[in-house]
Amino acid sequence: MNSQVVICCGSGGVGKTTTSAALGLRWAHDGDRVCVLTIDPAKRLADSLNIDTLGGRPTPIDIPDATGRCDAVMLDVQETFESLIQRFAPTTAAAASILENRYFQFASTRLGGVHEYMAAEKLRELATNGQYDVVIVDTPPTRNALDFLDAPDRMAELMNGAVVRWLAAPATKRGWRGIELGGEAVTRVLNLLIGQNTIGEIAQFFNLFRDLGEGFQKRSVEVQDLLRAESTRFLLVTSPSSAAQSEALFFLRQLNAKAMPFGGFIVNRVEPHIAFDGEALPVNGPDGWAVARSQLLALAEQQARLARMHEVGVDALVAAGPEGAPVWPVPHQGAPVNSIDELAALSASLPTRDALRHTP
Amino acid sequence: MSTLEKSVLIVTGKGGTGKTTVTAALGMALAMTGHRTLLVECNGTRVIGPLLGAAESTYTPQKVAPNLHAMTITSEEAIEDFIIKQIKVRALYSMVFKNRIMGPFMDAVPGLHDAVHLGKVYGLVEDDFTDGRPTWDRVVVDAPATGHGLHILNAPKAMMDLTRRGPIFANSKLVHDLTSDRSRTGIVMTCLPEAMPVSESLELNAALTQSGYGVAAVVLNEMVSTDLPSPPDQRALKAALPPEQRVNADALLSRFDARDTHQRAAHEALSNAIDAPVVHLPLLFDRPLHQASIERLASHLLRELESM
Repeated sequence: MNSQVVICCGSGGVGKTTTSAALGLRWAHDGDRVCVLTIDPAKRLADSLNIDTLGGRPTPIDIPDATGRCDAVMLDVQETFESLIQRFAPTTAAAASILENRYFQFASTRLGGVHEYMAAEKLRELATNGQYDVVIVDTPPTRNALDFLDAPDRMAELMNGAVVRWLAAPATKRGWRGIELGGEAVTRVLNLLIGQNTIGEIAQFFNLFRDLGEGFQKRSVEVQDLLRAESTRFLLVTSPSSAAQSEALFFLRQLNAKAMPFGGFIVNRVEPHIAFDGEALPVNGPDGWAVARSQLLALAEQQARLARMHEVGVDALVAAGPEGAPVWPVPHQGAPVNSIDELAALSASLPTRDALRHTP
Repeated sequence: MSTLEKSVLIVTGKGGTGKTTVTAALGMALAMTGHRTLLVECNGTRVIGPLLGAAESTYTPQKVAPNLHAMTITSEEAIEDFIIKQIKVRALYSMVFKNRIMGPFMDAVPGLHDAVHLGKVYGLVEDDFTDGRPTWDRVVVDAPATGHGLHILNAPKAMMDLTRRGPIFANSKLVHDLTSDRSRTGIVMTCLPEAMPVSESLELNAALTQSGYGVAAVVLNEMVSTDLPSPPDQRALKAALPPEQRVNADALLSRFDARDTHQRAAHEALSNAIDAPVVHLPLLFDRPLHQASIERLASHLLRELESM
């Protein structure tokens, strides 16, 4: 039985990683076996969670009084890519040739969508190994939420597509051939642009990859099934800043367009209202009273404006969201959230797994 | 040399630290001081136009305010632009790039999408003339956040390493020479007065230094005024309040005290680690931000940068 998949998406800087970790802590505390897959945690958070930032192995987080458990995994793109190649290459020698290819070394961390693809692959591995009730994914900070959803397909298409068959035709002494496409002109353009050697290296890479195509295709289908499973939930993490809000609405439109199961909004760092009544402060007092009094009143006014501004932001999200979509505002902690205790305090504002299960 | 005198300003920083707002305000500040300025968004983002009360940007620069134009770079348009300049035949471009088989393959050429962004910026600065003089005095680029921003900055060098010769190599070298020249290009880093953005800024600064780039200015954004009463005054104020209001006053004071500590710590950490002026921008309560908000921020930036 596969794990439930919960995907935290949103733009960069809104606290996705912190939210993912806090959700993991809460659910583990409540008795679930949880895994948090994170992409690029800030160093201090990684340290406090004791995440091994190399090799992509699950490391348990020490949670006091938990009835369940929570592992954290940091995605290692290169390592995931390499282990995929080792798994699907027909021979050890074939795997080694790919890993040594200069284009692979360039492409393995830079190819468009490779982070998203490897995140999806890691998710598949964690969600199907029978170890966890739920896997929480902290998505890469791409603007385009669809990248994460489409990356496996696009990569599989690239690896298995016509270009592979075309490029992988036996190399001539010119290093590669481009006959089928009325190739002279095409070859000329490509040579001009990226040079003969580079084309040769890319062609060799795709040639080596040809045998891996089927494995990649199969994986892609499995990931798509996971993302579309009935229990899967997408949580949109945001903050009340104006930039984050417009990004959140952009994400929401994309999720709607793809008919992805929306779980609700988590709005981080919401400034609270502090019900200070300035009227209670006497007008007259000791030396310097007038200045001190007006300073305190000014602070109260500032806090009220901050809280109001954030309230308006949250209301705008609710108005733009699907009918009945829940919103979980998380009050600003006043200090950075770094320790397990601080994460646990934060997690009290977040949904339980049960609350998430009953979202529309 | 002052930040405002450089031909190219590239704004980057952690996500959510106000890169776009700062880009718009920097552009506005330059335009207000008489420079013909172009704002450039990357990856087809189109938010600066509406922020300044104008239409969404396109690949062709559109006027958004006096002396101020805005455009957005999509890598598809920039690749087309670049390649047609190189091969001079549009039909050949279509044959290779609009081709069902070759399209995805060219998409996979590592770094090409990133590299053409700064390539286009180079063209705007060095190769764009109106009536015999440069069309733009200043170009301000709203680069993507930290990680991707670094990819874009490193892309010309990466393309040089990948190709080693040929037109892409030559072109990438020209671009690299411009962007790594500190007298012509300035990197402006945006940051918030919070621990995570600050530590990410320090990491970004280290990465930029390693790539041979230097930061021209740091903008510490969304600073809140924290004019706190002195500790004895705070005690006197609280003593004069009924208990239930004393709790609230305490919450208020400790909140702003913490904020004050963070703001000072952020300024300290940034100015100690980064060899560049750290200027402040106030948090504005306008929602959404609009042209008048940007003008206020622009005046702040002018004052702060000119006093450096």
